Amino acid sequence: MNTESDQTKYQLDPQRWISTLPLYSKQKGNREVKKYSIGIILFVFGLILISIIKNETRNLQKEITNLRDSINSIKFELYQARLDHDVITSPENISRLAKEHLESDYNYYKRSQIGHLNQKEKILTKLEKTKIKKIIMNKKRNKDVKRTKKLQFTKKIKINKTELVKSQYIYSKPKNLSHDIKLRIAKKIETKKNELKKFYSDPHEIIKSKKAQQWMGLQVVKVFLGIPIVPGK
Amino acid sequence: MKSRKRKNKSKKKSFFFEDYIEPESLIDSKKLDLVKVSLSRVNFLFFIFFCFVIIFSIKITYLALSPLPNKIIFSDNANKNFIKKRGDILDRNGIIVARNIDIFSAGVRPSLARDKKKLLINLRLIFPELETHKIKLKLKKKKFFYIKKRLTESEKTNLFLLGDKSMLLEKHQFRIYPQKNLLSHILGQIDDDNTGISGVEKFFDKDLKTNLLINSSLELTLDSNLQHIVREELINAQSDFNAIGSAALLMDANNGDILSLVSLPDYDLNKRFSINDDIYTNKITKGVYEMGSVFKTFTLAAGLENRVIDQKTMFTNLKHKIFCAGREISEHDNLPRNLSAEQIIIQSSNIGAIRIAQKIGIEKYKDFLNSLNLFKTIDFDLEEIGTPIPFRWGKCKLATASFGHGITTTPLQLARAYAILGNGGYEIQPTILKTGSSEREQKKQIISTETSKIVNSILRKVVSNKEGTANFANIDGYEIGGKTGTALKSIEGVYTEKKFNTFVSLFPISRPKYVLLVILDEPKPAPYFVYEFPNGYKHKGEKRNTSGWNTVVVAGKIIKKIGPILAINNLQASNKF
Repeated sequence: MNTESDQTKYQLDPQRWISTLPLYSKQKGNREVKKYSIGIILFVFGLILISIIKNETRNLQKEITNLRDSINSIKFELYQARLDHDVITSPENISRLAKEHLESDYNYYKRSQIGHLNQKEKILTKLEKTKIKKIIMNKKRNKDVKRTKKLQFTKKIKINKTELVKSQYIYSKPKNLSHDIKLRIAKKIETKKNELKKFYSDPHEIIKSKKAQQWMGLQVVKVFLGIPIVPGK
Repeated sequence: MKSRKRKNKSKKKSFFFEDYIEPESLIDSKKLDLVKVSLSRVNFLFFIFFCFVIIFSIKITYLALSPLPNKIIFSDNANKNFIKKRGDILDRNGIIVARNIDIFSAGVRPSLARDKKKLLINLRLIFPELETHKIKLKLKKKKFFYIKKRLTESEKTNLFLLGDKSMLLEKHQFRIYPQKNLLSHILGQIDDDNTGISGVEKFFDKDLKTNLLINSSLELTLDSNLQHIVREELINAQSDFNAIGSAALLMDANNGDILSLVSLPDYDLNKRFSINDDIYTNKITKGVYEMGSVFKTFTLAAGLENRVIDQKTMFTNLKHKIFCAGREISEHDNLPRNLSAEQIIIQSSNIGAIRIAQKIGIEKYKDFLNSLNLFKTIDFDLEEIGTPIPFRWGKCKLATASFGHGITTTPLQLARAYAILGNGGYEIQPTILKTGSSEREQKKQIISTETSKIVNSILRKVVSNKEGTANFANIDGYEIGGKTGTALKSIEGVYTEKKFNTFVSLFPISRPKYVLLVILDEPKPAPYFVYEFPNGYKHKGEKRNTSGWNTVVVAGKIIKKIGPILAINNLQASNKF
């Protein structure tokens, strides 16, 4: 009996083992899966991120070193170029080149020269001012002179006209002339007659006369100077 | 768990499957423990990962924010690296006067030479000036030796193109001076170990090696252009007056900035050779001389400052000769017997100066000269500084000191004293280091402004008056005032006929801005030199060689040339127009 009961007791029951498995709720299992999967995803993502960051930093580092190199090479070139420039443009070199290639020496301006120049300009302006003033004054004067001259001329013309009228009147009526005037005219005619007589009778005396000598002298001077001789009176 | 299993094993002898079946609750707890363990592991991994992320992010930010290294490193793709070992030296206009560059030296390792004959031929082709028999001997010894230091660019490429293993091109830094002789007495030199051995290089050695100056540069107050003009004029003067040496100093009278310092003969700083001759000393800073009549100005100033005399004080019955301790003191020319204090300076009367000094007295005169710091070693930015020769004061010393004999000082100290007299009596410190401050700070007043004004007016008369000794310096437009000095040189304690001529000038005298000191060492009469007087009159065949006939002429020429340059920089002067 015991054996039977034992047999029944220990009879293999395939379903029995299934029940022995721990029973989990579906929600609990999902949570665990989620946790693991998120963890794995984060881990992988982190790994990828690290590699990306690492590569990026490496690239950046390369770029930085390249840029630094190029900056340094430019600096070095500048360093050398500046030195070359200072050697070429040293005062000694410039003065030597100037002596070799420039025909004329460069002259420096004295401060005093600059001062003189300014003074000259000032003098010029003063002169100009005085010139302008003079011109204006002259113009004014000329106008006044013209007016006075015009007046003088008109006066003279008037006088001459009156005299002419008078003489015309006198000579138009000789019988009406006074005795004194008649005598004066007669005297003048006589003196002229005498002069003419003398000239034809004794021409030597006329040559010896002062007037004739002066005239002769003038003609000689004219000959020497090359001025054409115009027959005298 | 494991311990529990072991216990069960020990209790049950036979194998039963049931023994291994655990209750549900137990299994659940085990599983949960496992999950917890795995989760903690994952967390740990995450923590490590997080740490990595933080480390990298810190690194990235560090790289982004970290500044460039302090030392300037020049490099390009051809592995060209240049790290400056010493800072540049610049003049006041930013012109380079000293700079380090890379140079190559060529050496030979005879042990590596395959064909020595061929190598010798090649070396002779590249360096024809080398002595081949010496190289031949050295090649036999099999010891390393240098063929040439400081190779030129073509020599370097030719050696490189040889492709010989035995040839060694060694790169090292070398200091070059682009202005050659121009600033030789100021800059000095360095040795092969990059250590300053003279001049500015020695005085500022530590500063030039600091990172601060390596990255920037040391700026001097000197002006290369002015320096060149002054040097050219001095060279011409040396040939005109047949002098053995000359020197000039141009200094700002208000702040002590030295614009030009020339001492001839000078030397090319790029050519290294040892100089032992005394003639190459820096005459301005190191040279200690008896300056002659330029001291009369101090005698007058001392008299005025101590209110012993005024400029119109008359000195009557002045003798032409006096004797002091058996030595004769005489006038340089036939001067009137009665002279005013002003006339004593204008006509440079020795006896008159003695009379003024006697009126002042030893103590007061000594104190006045000491206040101008004429007899102590001056504090200056160079190692090469002279110390005036000490002496004992006495009646005779007072007499000779009044006209600048038996009393020594350096030209630098003399120029400083004149600057103090000219600038209103304010103390200044000569310097060659550019500090950036253009205006004079509030400084100690040594001499009253009134004395300074009177002295300036008298110095102007020395140049402008017909009786004055410095008529050749009367350059129109620059208001020059100054004093001549002709000293007899004493060699081994005995006065000779050789002269040491000095002219110190201040300009523009109405408000002195610059001090110019010109020195000619042993000038001779210049019978073929054509002197041009300010009024246009020309004179030739002069037999005198006193200061008025040489240093004054040189100073006039220098001021004519540098005047416009200084006027550009000097707004005060240019504003006058």
